[in-house]
Amino acid sequence: MSRKAKINLISISLSLAATLIIITLLLLLINKNPIEIFSIIFSEVFASGYGIGQTLFKATPLIICGCGLAICFHASLFNIGAEGQLNAGSFVIAIIALQIQDLPFPLILLICIVCGFVISGVFGLIPAYIKVKKDVSEVITTIMLNFIILALINYFLVDFFAVKSTMRTQELNDNNMLFKLSEFIPFFKGSSLNASFILAIIISVISYVFIYKTKFGYRIRAIGFNETASKYIGLKTNKIILISFFTGAGITSLVGINFIFGYKGFYEAGFSNNIGFTAIAVALLAKNNPLGIIFSALLFAILDYGGLSINQLVPKEIMLVVQGIIILSILSIDKLVTQYFERRGAV
Amino acid sequence: MEIITAILSLSFLAQMLRLMTPFYLGASAANFSERGGVINISIEGFMNLSAFSFALFSIITHNVTAGFFISILINIIFSILFAFFTVKLKINQIVTGVGFNLLIAGITKFLLVLIFNSSSNTERFEGLPDFTLLQSIPFVGSIFSDYITIFCFALIFISGFILFRTKFGLRLRSAGENPGAAESLGIKVRLYKLYGIMISGFLSALAGIWLASNQNSYSDGMIAGRGYIALAAMIIGKWKPVNIFFACLLFSAFEALEITLQISGTDLPSQLIQMLPYLITVLVLIGFIGKTKPPAADGIPY
Repeated sequence: MSRKAKINLISISLSLAATLIIITLLLLLINKNPIEIFSIIFSEVFASGYGIGQTLFKATPLIICGCGLAICFHASLFNIGAEGQLNAGSFVIAIIALQIQDLPFPLILLICIVCGFVISGVFGLIPAYIKVKKDVSEVITTIMLNFIILALINYFLVDFFAVKSTMRTQELNDNNMLFKLSEFIPFFKGSSLNASFILAIIISVISYVFIYKTKFGYRIRAIGFNETASKYIGLKTNKIILISFFTGAGITSLVGINFIFGYKGFYEAGFSNNIGFTAIAVALLAKNNPLGIIFSALLFAILDYGGLSINQLVPKEIMLVVQGIIILSILSIDKLVTQYFERRGAV
Repeated sequence: MEIITAILSLSFLAQMLRLMTPFYLGASAANFSERGGVINISIEGFMNLSAFSFALFSIITHNVTAGFFISILINIIFSILFAFFTVKLKINQIVTGVGFNLLIAGITKFLLVLIFNSSSNTERFEGLPDFTLLQSIPFVGSIFSDYITIFCFALIFISGFILFRTKFGLRLRSAGENPGAAESLGIKVRLYKLYGIMISGFLSALAGIWLASNQNSYSDGMIAGRGYIALAAMIIGKWKPVNIFFACLLFSAFEALEITLQISGTDLPSQLIQMLPYLITVLVLIGFIGKTKPPAADGIPY
């Protein structure tokens, strides 16, 4: 194991331990038995195939979105706009799928994936373009675009596409849905886990190879490491920034595949439930490594699903607090650990 | 036609000026932090936190004054924590901001259910006392009807004075423009960054308190992006107190327009009006309405 990997491992474990301690203290503070709470979560999540299936199902969008963000983050592009980007793509996926329902299913899926990818990607290109042309930080533009996109979708949804007195589009035919994994693996019986999970794993592997094993991925990381130096050694930094933002944002649209083709069959306002922001934490915890993102997404999914199981005892919203604490502890502990090793001259 | 007369009325103007309060407080909060060189995108979170803690402690103690001060205190503690992350540990300011926003959203949602048994709102409480001195004057009285709004208008001049006419302001700005040079002149740059962030926490607390007090309760999601609009106003206002005031006025005009449209029940799409502040901001950033320039060392850890 390289030094860097070792430091990463130490800081991730330390921050998870710190989170656990803080949460235990928090539970004690509000007079609950932490051991009871943890064991309920554990048994609910891991004791049944249904629990595991639901957890994997909840991890799916986080893996997808986390990988998209990781590509941006590797180029040091702070994409805070995933929430808007993924909604734009998902909305278009739902609309197009409705128009082409009669085509063979694989073709529908292919067209939707491409269209969703392009739409989300274009909404990623806008801040990237403004960044390279006008030297305006992508942080503010992506935040603003979130609001713009969500308002636009709301407008189109309410005025044109929504089923009357709802905030969702029409439902797709049953035969136009992805298969549930429980059809092949009875173990997952009853859970919503579907083929999108396989898609998420594939995306994660492809992203990993893309970032760490291709020339282009190397260039992305070079820019993230030092943009000026990259420019001097002749890299077309602007082009690389545009492409990585397009690709990263495009990937987030596939969150919609899970929800629309794998779960509900329609687009619904607010379906994403802040996945675009939670995924920032997921990518951060995994140090932007797409394979690591699978595990950090699983952790967040356990928190999400586990929260439901303890809702009788503690409001499930405590898991949002846990997520927040995880982010801040990984940020701070990572820095402290790195500084410690630097002082020892180990890096 | 009715709408046009409604917009041209004095009451619309008064409403617009009052609605400006949280925007201007939030934008000034962001400005004091950025003048010291620290980007604070968790203004939204800070406003949320103070709105909640103000409601919580006002209800628990049956005393809005206590709620007021406790809420400010909590915000300042959080802003010191924010400074610990961004100034002491030099962690990326954007990521820290996202983290704080998520954590605070989590804390408020959790405590809302835990204490008030509701996922949507607290019980109602008596807001801050009104400012009664000017009440009898027709137009002016309806604008300056509470202490925070009055302070907000005074802040236009106070913040300009502090930033550009005092030693403190000069040092704060030097920390945001050229920390290396400032340090070499013996200015404790990090301390000034901390001060900037603490002022940021204080002002955003006032913004949150104003919103909760006006609504006489706290409800989940009540900040509704105002913290981000405040950031936008700061950028469009080019980090200058008076310009920020006009940017905030523009955004509060949209909010007042939205309310007027909703009351009159026209079918002008309100979503598109909601979108305008953000769209304008992007257009300004692209450079359609003049160039904006942040403090030179904004966002760079020192």
